[in-house]
Amino acid sequence: MARKAKRDLTIEQKLARGPIDLPFLALVMLLTAVGLIMVLSASYASAMLNLTPKVTDTGGDPLYYFKRQFGFAMLGVGAMFVISKIDYQHFRWMSVFALGGSIVLMALVFVPGIGRSGGGALRWVSIFGIRFQPSEIAKVGVIMFFSAGLSKRTGQVGPPKKWSKRTFTGRMAARLDRVGLLELIPYGLVLAVVLGIIAMQHHMSAMVLIVVAAASVLFASGISLGWFAAGGALVSGALVWIITQTEYMTERVTIWRDPFSDPKGDGFQPIQSMTSIGSGGLLGVGLGNSRQKYAFLPEEHNDYIFAIVCEELGMVGACVIIALFALLIIRGFWLALHARDRFGTLLIVGITSLTAFQTFFNIGVVTNFLPPTGISLPFFSYGGTALAIQLAEMGMVLSVSRQIAAPRAE
Amino acid sequence: MQDTNLRPRRSDGKNNRSLFRRTIFLMAVLGVGIFLPLVYRLYQLQIVEQEDWERRAATQQTRSISVPANRGTIYDREGRAMAMSATVYKLILSPRGVVGSIDKEKYKDKEKNLDETAYEKALYDLRETIVDGIVDLFGYDEERLWTRIERTSSGYEVLYYELEEEDAEKARQFIGENRLSGALQLTPSSKRYYPFSSIGSHVLGYMGQTESSGENMVGKDGIEALYEGALSGELGRVVTSKNGWGQEMISGYEMYFDAQNGYDVHLTIDERIQAMLEQTLAEGIETYDVQAGAFGLAIDPQTGAVLAMASSPDFDPNNWGVLLSEALQEQVEQVKTEEGDDAADAAWKEAWNKQMRNRVLKETYEPGSVFKPITVAIGLEEGVISLDSTYNCSGSKKFPGVEKPINCHKKGGHGQQNLTKAVGNSCNVALMNIAEEIGPEITWKYWQDFGLMEKTGIDLSGEEKGIFWTEEHFKSINASLELATSSFGQRFKVTPLEMITAFAAVINGGHLLQPYVVQSITDGDGNTTFYHETVEVRQVISESTSEKMRGILESVVANDSGHNASQIGYRIGGKTGTSELLDRKNEPGYNKDVMCSFMGFAPADDPRVLVLVVYDTPKRSSVGSSYTAGGTYISGGNIAAPMAGALIANILDYMGIEKQYSADELAGAAAPMPYVVGSELTVAKGAVQSAGFECRTVGTGNVVTHQVPAAGVSIPGGSNVILYLGEEAPDGQVATPDLEGLSPAAAKTKLEEQGLFMRATGVVDYTDSSVVMAAQSVDAGTMVTPGTVIEVRFVSDIEYGDHA
Repeated sequence: MARKAKRDLTIEQKLARGPIDLPFLALVMLLTAVGLIMVLSASYASAMLNLTPKVTDTGGDPLYYFKRQFGFAMLGVGAMFVISKIDYQHFRWMSVFALGGSIVLMALVFVPGIGRSGGGALRWVSIFGIRFQPSEIAKVGVIMFFSAGLSKRTGQVGPPKKWSKRTFTGRMAARLDRVGLLELIPYGLVLAVVLGIIAMQHHMSAMVLIVVAAASVLFASGISLGWFAAGGALVSGALVWIITQTEYMTERVTIWRDPFSDPKGDGFQPIQSMTSIGSGGLLGVGLGNSRQKYAFLPEEHNDYIFAIVCEELGMVGACVIIALFALLIIRGFWLALHARDRFGTLLIVGITSLTAFQTFFNIGVVTNFLPPTGISLPFFSYGGTALAIQLAEMGMVLSVSRQIAAPRAE
Repeated sequence: MQDTNLRPRRSDGKNNRSLFRRTIFLMAVLGVGIFLPLVYRLYQLQIVEQEDWERRAATQQTRSISVPANRGTIYDREGRAMAMSATVYKLILSPRGVVGSIDKEKYKDKEKNLDETAYEKALYDLRETIVDGIVDLFGYDEERLWTRIERTSSGYEVLYYELEEEDAEKARQFIGENRLSGALQLTPSSKRYYPFSSIGSHVLGYMGQTESSGENMVGKDGIEALYEGALSGELGRVVTSKNGWGQEMISGYEMYFDAQNGYDVHLTIDERIQAMLEQTLAEGIETYDVQAGAFGLAIDPQTGAVLAMASSPDFDPNNWGVLLSEALQEQVEQVKTEEGDDAADAAWKEAWNKQMRNRVLKETYEPGSVFKPITVAIGLEEGVISLDSTYNCSGSKKFPGVEKPINCHKKGGHGQQNLTKAVGNSCNVALMNIAEEIGPEITWKYWQDFGLMEKTGIDLSGEEKGIFWTEEHFKSINASLELATSSFGQRFKVTPLEMITAFAAVINGGHLLQPYVVQSITDGDGNTTFYHETVEVRQVISESTSEKMRGILESVVANDSGHNASQIGYRIGGKTGTSELLDRKNEPGYNKDVMCSFMGFAPADDPRVLVLVVYDTPKRSSVGSSYTAGGTYISGGNIAAPMAGALIANILDYMGIEKQYSADELAGAAAPMPYVVGSELTVAKGAVQSAGFECRTVGTGNVVTHQVPAAGVSIPGGSNVILYLGEEAPDGQVATPDLEGLSPAAAKTKLEEQGLFMRATGVVDYTDSSVVMAAQSVDAGTMVTPGTVIEVRFVSDIEYGDHA
């Protein structure tokens, strides 16, 4: 396909061809590269020992996980560039399809033959031999949909809706509109549908992430803080009730506070994780030298890969990686602040917040700062499709970055 | 265009400011805020708690295999190894490993169904290979091995604890050939050897397992136990890494911590002297049919160093689980036939306890008359008696308020005697009088000073201490009988070790020394880490008193009840004892049981060795008889003294202490026969006589053609050599005559008639008619060549009463 000559482009199209944000791209590429290296190091032992032949039969190939992750990383980087080329204004209409598509895919999980179970719950679908979690797409879908919708809160074209003052319902509606509830209703409904389906998959961590990502977008878009206070109070109350009233959760919290109360059972994972981290010390045992990865620490290349990072690279290495994440997030928000329009801002806020929360929850769990939930570490945890989707999200951020006006040369 | 009905909307600008502020807020919280607790958490885990986690990690990631340290050697005073270690191997069978070494996958078809029969068959074959191999190689009980190999839950069945290198090599080959490394394992361990087997066993101790030691062998009893820490060294370790499945990691790291070898212990015990002492005990037990064992000690009275310490029956530390003494084995067998297995088990245990028991320090006994020198020394030291004191013995001493008088062992009494003679006679009446003069207060103080009421502090475990009356009772006026009997060593008990230590103080100038058996400890490089300096507990009596005591005791051996201990060439001092065992009165088979003992030292003017020999209950020929079946009068002077005397002479010979001869004795001293063949008779006679011999001639002629004995043969002075003048010396051998009951002179004559020569030992007194032959070195009737020197031991058959 021949490229259009520059002179034939509309202003919009010209803008979309602007330069992408190189610092952000560099941080993404750096994290992806380091993540790949760590997957290689962490998974080497379990792949060689073929620790979980029932889940993944590596056939004793020590590079099994790395090869797959590398393949998906290439795919993801490709997707990232392609998506960064798209004029992000198209994401407005795409958001409907992304959200709708992900809801359909999530429903497909329950269709026998397509849905796949993993870790005891139906969360996966397998299409054309590619296994992935539709909830990953739902996260982006929700962010895109919310950003597209909320970007139009002000400055809409056309007159605002009029409520009849003569009828009771009309007066009520007017009042609700005034406090801002009415405009929240469509978002609430979308959220309820998505969370409902994910709840049926017993996928607590995905729910949490979608809620916080959506909340970030809502927060940035200027929704009255009162709603957040109310929502926060509601969620906290529910959490307290669940923790104190259900035996299952009480036990989990007890083990979280003191993993040694059940060192061979549920406490095993956090103990092994902390053992890895602690034995790394300040400078670590050296890249590739982790001993905990030799069948001591479960999930060492998935959710607990950061423990291996800490063991091998020590506190210094771990802090460097945390700093990379922090820089990525700060740069993300910087891009959000400079985006051309509200949609771009909100889109980046949503994606960056998602990445930030995911990082926080993962490292929090690995260090036993937070109670265990199965949240993976962006760019690091093994999981090809998740990595590819993450890189695609980064592509969306980069796409927005293209349309940022270059600072005037002084 | 703005309608008043329009909802109040915030302006675009205001809205954008809100967006800006809130985004900045999110940037601060999500870009910085959330990472702060995470970094703090990492700081906690990786810096603050780092050591704890690292230790936890090391514990689970590594496997530590201990490497045995070489146990130190125990040497005697001349550097002979009495206990040493060598590497042996443990053969361990892992029944679980046997199952594991069969690959189950091989017996599965494509649907992963296990072919049970084929799998079971393969397992059975493998087990059979192992069982047959082990049974063939080492003769392990086949049935038992089958039982053990089928305990599939076990991974650790020790088949052999101590395979020698040779056998281990066979096992190694078997494992290699059949690829059984998953099922059988050889691990090195260490085995203790005692090259002199039972010699010194009670001092050395033995190796065994205790509750706390688990499978490791640790010293039990004796030096092995007391110096366990020094001897055992420190275990080394090989630390290897393992994965979460417990498998060794090939590429993992390994660390070696060298085992630190144990220190060597150097004893004061001399293996040769120890052997002599044990031989003396064994001979005495055999000769006098001693019923309840024997014990003895040899120490250096100047330092307290124990040269030998023995208690019979004893055991072989190489194999301490069995009864060593045939007599004990027979006893158990007898119980078995008479009373059945249960009783036999109990009897076995009792016998075993007996053989493991070092009576020298773990049991007390009534020393009897051997104690008399202590009483006399107290009297002399306190000045209540002197060498000139005289004592009249009428045969018994009466005590006010007591109906029966205490008898002296000589019914008619010893009559008038000075102090030296009273001790020589072992006169009880005299001793009771001395004790009375000393009084209980001073007696008690001296007993304490002599260390009889406390442990000697020897470096061996399990030491007992003397058993006495209460101080209050002994010092009361009701205790006159106790004071009287204690003067001759009865009715209280001390350990043989306490007795010899106190006796050493009597003769060594009054120094009570702490006895000891460990002279020094050296590390692997030969550096001395411990050296025992002589420990003087206190001075008990003065040098001058001690000198007087040496004189008295020398006289006891030279002239009186200790005469049977005398040896030509050595000045021996000592005291006999025959202690009544009244506390065994109610035991079955009691027959006036006594312990016959002798405490002797030499040379009398400068004691180098002090010996105590005690025989417990020589068997009387019949109930109430005073004689053994062999006709020996049962007393310390007749049983223990000759044995101890010979022992002292042997020890002095071994120590290279020169003999000192009196003029009489010198005549009898051995000298080499000169060469006189070819000489004229007169010349020959002169040569023979100047060498100290007499001669007789056979045949007629003037030139000596043959001589008996041959030149250079050492024969006792005064022997009658034979010079042949022209006649052939008889070729044939001659029968050794029976010398039973002969006096030295008669025995000499009888031997010389046969062309044999006599070397007299023991009590060699040609003028004393009581001296008779006790033993001859060549049995009567044995054919020997003429000129052979026959050693003949003489004893005095005077009945040396020294019964307390």
